[in-house]
Amino acid sequence: MTKIRKLTALTKAGIIESLQFRLGTAVMLFGNLIYLALVYFLWKAVYESSGVSVVNGMTFYDTMIYLILATAIFNFLEMFIVWDMSRAIQSGEIIMHLLKPMRYRVYTFWSYTGAHVNNFFLAFVPTFIVVSVITKGAIPIGMNLLYFVVSLILALVVNFNIEMLVAPICLYTESTWGINIVKETIVLLLSGATIPLAFFPEGLRQVVEYLPFRAVYDIPLTVLLAKNGTDTPAGLLAGLGIQLLWCVVLSVCGNLFWKHAVKKITVNGG
Amino acid sequence: MEMKTGRKRGLSFYLSIYRKILIQDLKSKMSFRADFIISTFGMILTNVSGFITFMILFHNFPSVNGWDYHHMLFLYGFSLIALTPVQCFFDNNWNLRFMVRSGDFIKYCFRPINVFFYFISEVFDVKGLGQFAFGLGTFIYAWAHIGIPVTVVTVAEAVLFLITASLFMIALMNFAAATCFWIINSGYVMVIMFRFKDFAKYPASIFNSVFRFIFTFIIPIAFVAYYPSLVFVTPDHVPLLSWLSPPIGVLFFFLSYKFWMLGVRKYDFTGS
Amino acid sequence: MGREVVVMKNISKQFKVLNRHEGLKGSIQDLFSRDYRIVRAVDDVSLTVNKGEIIGYLGPNGAGKSTTIKIMTGVLEPTSGEIFVNGRVPYKDRTANAENIGVVFGQRSQLWWNLPLIESFNLLRDIYLVPEQEYRDMLELYRSLVDLEPILHKPVRQMSLGQRTLSDILAAFLHNPGIVFLDEPTIGLDVSMKAKIRELIRGLNEAKETTVILTTHDMGDVDALCRRIIIIDKGRKIYDNDIGHLKSYFGSYRTLRMRLGDDSWVEQVIDEKETDVMHVMQEMQKEHRIKDIQLQEISTEEVIRKIYEGDESA
Repeated sequence: MTKIRKLTALTKAGIIESLQFRLGTAVMLFGNLIYLALVYFLWKAVYESSGVSVVNGMTFYDTMIYLILATAIFNFLEMFIVWDMSRAIQSGEIIMHLLKPMRYRVYTFWSYTGAHVNNFFLAFVPTFIVVSVITKGAIPIGMNLLYFVVSLILALVVNFNIEMLVAPICLYTESTWGINIVKETIVLLLSGATIPLAFFPEGLRQVVEYLPFRAVYDIPLTVLLAKNGTDTPAGLLAGLGIQLLWCVVLSVCGNLFWKHAVKKITVNGG
Repeated sequence: MEMKTGRKRGLSFYLSIYRKILIQDLKSKMSFRADFIISTFGMILTNVSGFITFMILFHNFPSVNGWDYHHMLFLYGFSLIALTPVQCFFDNNWNLRFMVRSGDFIKYCFRPINVFFYFISEVFDVKGLGQFAFGLGTFIYAWAHIGIPVTVVTVAEAVLFLITASLFMIALMNFAAATCFWIINSGYVMVIMFRFKDFAKYPASIFNSVFRFIFTFIIPIAFVAYYPSLVFVTPDHVPLLSWLSPPIGVLFFFLSYKFWMLGVRKYDFTGS
Repeated sequence: MGREVVVMKNISKQFKVLNRHEGLKGSIQDLFSRDYRIVRAVDDVSLTVNKGEIIGYLGPNGAGKSTTIKIMTGVLEPTSGEIFVNGRVPYKDRTANAENIGVVFGQRSQLWWNLPLIESFNLLRDIYLVPEQEYRDMLELYRSLVDLEPILHKPVRQMSLGQRTLSDILAAFLHNPGIVFLDEPTIGLDVSMKAKIRELIRGLNEAKETTVILTTHDMGDVDALCRRIIIIDKGRKIYDNDIGHLKSYFGSYRTLRMRLGDDSWVEQVIDEKETDVMHVMQEMQKEHRIKDIQLQEISTEEVIRKIYEGDESA
């Protein structure tokens, strides 16, 4: 079996498994609706109180679209790597994975891809269509869609690397929930997923520019909405370039950290 | 050996038992040091992040529906305090569905004490205290800045309303957890119900009438902070619902307790 | 002789079991479903247990043993029939009944997982409102029966299975209940631990005249502890008598053990009334050499198995 076939098979298996979680998907969507309802009313109220329609370059519509799509991306990116890995470590299952011929990190990435493909079509695309229709085409339809897909894939890789960096920490500290919540809180806040980065006060904004988290949400979203200079080739390449940079940096760090963790696992016998 | 007659166990009995269980449980939890510290840190970080979100919002906008920064902060602090009891004392509800499924739940039925109490008392979640500290700090800070007078009356009111406000979230989680006696995927019900708590930190006035109705009479999350807060924030225009929130809270909690126990009876009946 | 501790008259229990479904549609369906099937778990069982008896409560899995135990402990309400435990109707007054019983599950500990054993004991003392002197006397009794020191200050989660079982049994007797239900107490334990547990149960039964209902699949437990056996199968009581009578039930049965040419032993249960030992040996010799034979009393286990089989074909 060639490598490509192996990977395709994995992806297919992941899709089938994912489809069985229909209830989970329905719940996820419902949970999103709740969250978005809150977002809608909250931002409507604050915009009304400010008296102006554009704040920091964003109108109410801009903000809504941004946050709705951020939620869609969140669902798309959601991986239970940290949970699954710590469970596998605790049960000793991880030894079996390490024995398999494929490298664990690569294997993990591709085994989740099935869920992602599934997610993309079941969650993201419908959301996108709905938002497009409701806002009567506020999302530009053009080449930016293609760039967006590229950016999204890069965001996926960056996110994956963040997860793989965090997961072994659970191994060292024997704490799962705490680590996971810390990671999630930080990522969601500093990536522009909870509040668009456009609203961040200057000082904070500067700091956030240098962190990898905006590569996960802010960059793909601004590419999609063709904002922030990404409608120019220079701006676009800058954005994608930053993502690529973080992919590489985090991947290298992650690999080193992972090798160290594997040593610890094998020493402890799982 | 003489026959022991059925003796009544009152409030003082349950309080003293709970205190003893709590002390022992805390002592042993401390031994899981790394997890304890990290979880507490994680909890505090979540609260800090919420706070930062708050501040960023107010950096850009002057008010939310007439509620300015300090009033919103009051609401925020109030909700955090009111959400602490469900986090700390009623955390075992999250384990209910597993114990019912596996049959382990039956062990709670063999002792001569109330099954709900016995089950709930098993777990105390220490990291909720971080939330309490944060909430209390925010609450006091906002209280001072709004200039609410500090008298015996206002402090007593604060304690009363905070306690009864917490009953609402406790009741909601009781309802959600107890569904495990009837349906398989109750975990999802709990997760969704838990997400509603995020609505508590915002004034219900931002919603349209439909949602306001839902959050007042169906999933009464507005009673967790909004209605009780009005007693302090707008003391001249306090709606009736705000004054009624304590008795409604007690009633709602009682209903959720009854529902929970109904599930236990059903569990016994089918023995599943 | 003695007072009747448990009286069951024509107890039956039927369950309506919902056929549950998975998935989103399934959960919603379940809420409105009328798709039940009726399971008859206990079918017209009557029995009486006297004070101080140790009863072996046997039966294949799914026979209805745990259901009857749940009825006796007040956790389950029977569909029909009468039941009295210590003169009280257990399901009508669960709390009052609970004060006078002790329960132990084989695998699921009822102690507080993180607490040292002594703290669990203290909590139980408070829950059951045990007077301080009685409590101290009980601990003294425990010290005389088992080596308490090594486990008294250990949290249950750090204990071995044997220690945990020991602790659970001690906890069940702590408030001096009139009757204790032990469900598979020696399961998963090694031989020496099983012996210790059996000694403990016997010691407590003798010291406190506590009635014990022992559910088990281990015939060693039965042989060591029980003078009377009740067998339940398919929800019905198929045997209720003392253990001596059990052996004579199948008095003519023997276990024939033959040592073959390769030094392995082969066993066969035969009814001496029906089968000729010589004949069996001759059949065996057609294929193997026989070096040695033993004719043994049939074991309790074999008797029970025969009773199950008899019930199967009945």
